[in-house]
Amino acid sequence: MTQIEIAGVGKRFGAHQVLRDCTLSIARGQVLTLLGASGCGKTTLLRIIAGFLDPDEGEVRIQGRDITTLPPNRRQVGYVFQNYALFPHLTVAENVAYGLKVRRRPRAEIADRVRAALETVALAGFADRYPARLSGGQQQRVAIARALVLEPEVLLLDEPFNALDAKLRLAMQVELRKLISRVGITSIFVTHDQAEAMTLSDQVAVMREGRIEQLAAPLDLYDRPATPYVATFIGRANVVPVTVRGGAVEGVPGVAAARADGPAALVLRPENLRLLAAGAPGVVWNGRVAFATADGPTMELELDAGLAEPLRAVLPRRAGEAAPAAGTLLGLGIADPAGCAVIPHAG
Amino acid sequence: MSPRASGATKRRRTIPAIDRLGGLLLGLVAGFALLLLVAPSLIVIAISFEPRAFISFPPSGFSLRWYWAVFENRQLTDSILVSLEVATLVMLAALLLGVPAAFASVRGTFPGKAGANAFLLAPQMMPGMVIGIAMLFFGAYVGFRASDLMLVVALTVFCIPFTIRIVMARLAGLDPRLDEASANLGAGPAETFLRVTVPQLGPALLAAAAFTFIEAFDNVTVALFTSDVRGRPLPVELYYLVQNDSTPAIAAISAMEIMLSFVVMLVIARTVGLERLGR
Repeated sequence: MTQIEIAGVGKRFGAHQVLRDCTLSIARGQVLTLLGASGCGKTTLLRIIAGFLDPDEGEVRIQGRDITTLPPNRRQVGYVFQNYALFPHLTVAENVAYGLKVRRRPRAEIADRVRAALETVALAGFADRYPARLSGGQQQRVAIARALVLEPEVLLLDEPFNALDAKLRLAMQVELRKLISRVGITSIFVTHDQAEAMTLSDQVAVMREGRIEQLAAPLDLYDRPATPYVATFIGRANVVPVTVRGGAVEGVPGVAAARADGPAALVLRPENLRLLAAGAPGVVWNGRVAFATADGPTMELELDAGLAEPLRAVLPRRAGEAAPAAGTLLGLGIADPAGCAVIPHAG
Repeated sequence: MSPRASGATKRRRTIPAIDRLGGLLLGLVAGFALLLLVAPSLIVIAISFEPRAFISFPPSGFSLRWYWAVFENRQLTDSILVSLEVATLVMLAALLLGVPAAFASVRGTFPGKAGANAFLLAPQMMPGMVIGIAMLFFGAYVGFRASDLMLVVALTVFCIPFTIRIVMARLAGLDPRLDEASANLGAGPAETFLRVTVPQLGPALLAAAAFTFIEAFDNVTVALFTSDVRGRPLPVELYYLVQNDSTPAIAAISAMEIMLSFVVMLVIARTVGLERLGR
């Protein structure tokens, strides 16, 4: 069942078109990430869903109800801010109680629900502290408890891990994913960190210049990127210009292309290449090693094969094997032709 | 210790001579400035304890007779009452007008905002005398005579930039995300204002009230031109008093005013923290 629908949303700030025709829908209980570089419009889209901004075009619907023009305080949408936006003059418990107080719930009910919410985020012992005396991770949990205690229909999180250091970030990502699946709340994350998007989401919407470039499950994004931008934004990729003829890629045997004839781009993940002697059977590209390095389990090399950019390969390394010296003539073949994607030509 | 940290300690140990000289000079200048600011007040307080009927420093003894004399002087007690009343009214008017103005100039988005800001803060750039004379002349033109009411109006114009600036400074430091968080949690704009903005603005409001009150209480330049001849406020009364008399009673009043300011600052420092006023 569709929980949230965003239909054709566009937003302009002055002359700058921040969002164009953004459309997506999220099923109940799913976690979606809006992923993109800074300035791609992802936070703007989140703020439109929360009602902090009105879109110029399009609609936002929750469970089929159009909420596009509903003021933010009348939407059942939880929001976790990038800097958490905890009220500095209120204690942890008062912060969590805020929404319930505003709703004029009975005092006993507020106390019970606040206690339960703080237990959910493992902060039961911190009820009387002020936010300034909490660590970043604890503040984040207060912000989440403050939103969840109102049992919103949707939880929106704007770069919730940005303010945390790298080690804590990983732990909190796992914790939050567990919490969300336990509570079963439909959630939308905003992030610029593709690893975070992969860890957290059922669906990822890659955004670029105000558009949704591709909406897919995390592994599908990696395996089947729809555009060169997605191919290089999600993980690393060699994007090689090729020509499609008769459902196959010219000069690259074994790669099928369900596309019309003409120029296209072949997306090759670095780990999908294999190293061969120059001119050996199965070689697709011959060239000289431009750079190579080995780091224990793998070695990485760049082969200058006469393409616009050198081919990058990440190869498993056997014990005692050294990285090939720069300038060595070598060949690269494709390990799994089915693991390549053929996409529209760049530009 | 990492090499970087030890490098930093080494650098600290070898402060160039020129920097040390600069530090010394800065200390001297600061000390001198402090002396200039504080010494006159201390001298006035000392003089106020003079037992004889004329001003001398150091005082020839210790007596509180001039403090009693102040309260026995009907003219002086009347002017103190006028000043207290005027300062209270100015404080209220400046808060009522200044707080919304500060909101508009920090949070508002409207055409001509920069111009409106400049206009609001302009009286601060103008000598009080100019405001006083302008008010007097304008008053004469529309038939509005120098009076307590005119004094309140003129002082409000003069004081409002202080009020606005203190409130603006604090408002600018408030995270607008807190308002959004409040809305997201279900609070309407009025409830957000009461539950989120006012509690955080409290210290700034207190400070603005205190500063405005003190400024209105001891202003001479504006009051000289706009106050009622029969009901002069204290600073004007003192100004006339020192022209033809130099009794230690004037020092006693000044000492009490210094004490009043000091107590206000102390209360603010204890309740709010002086360092938060600037924010």
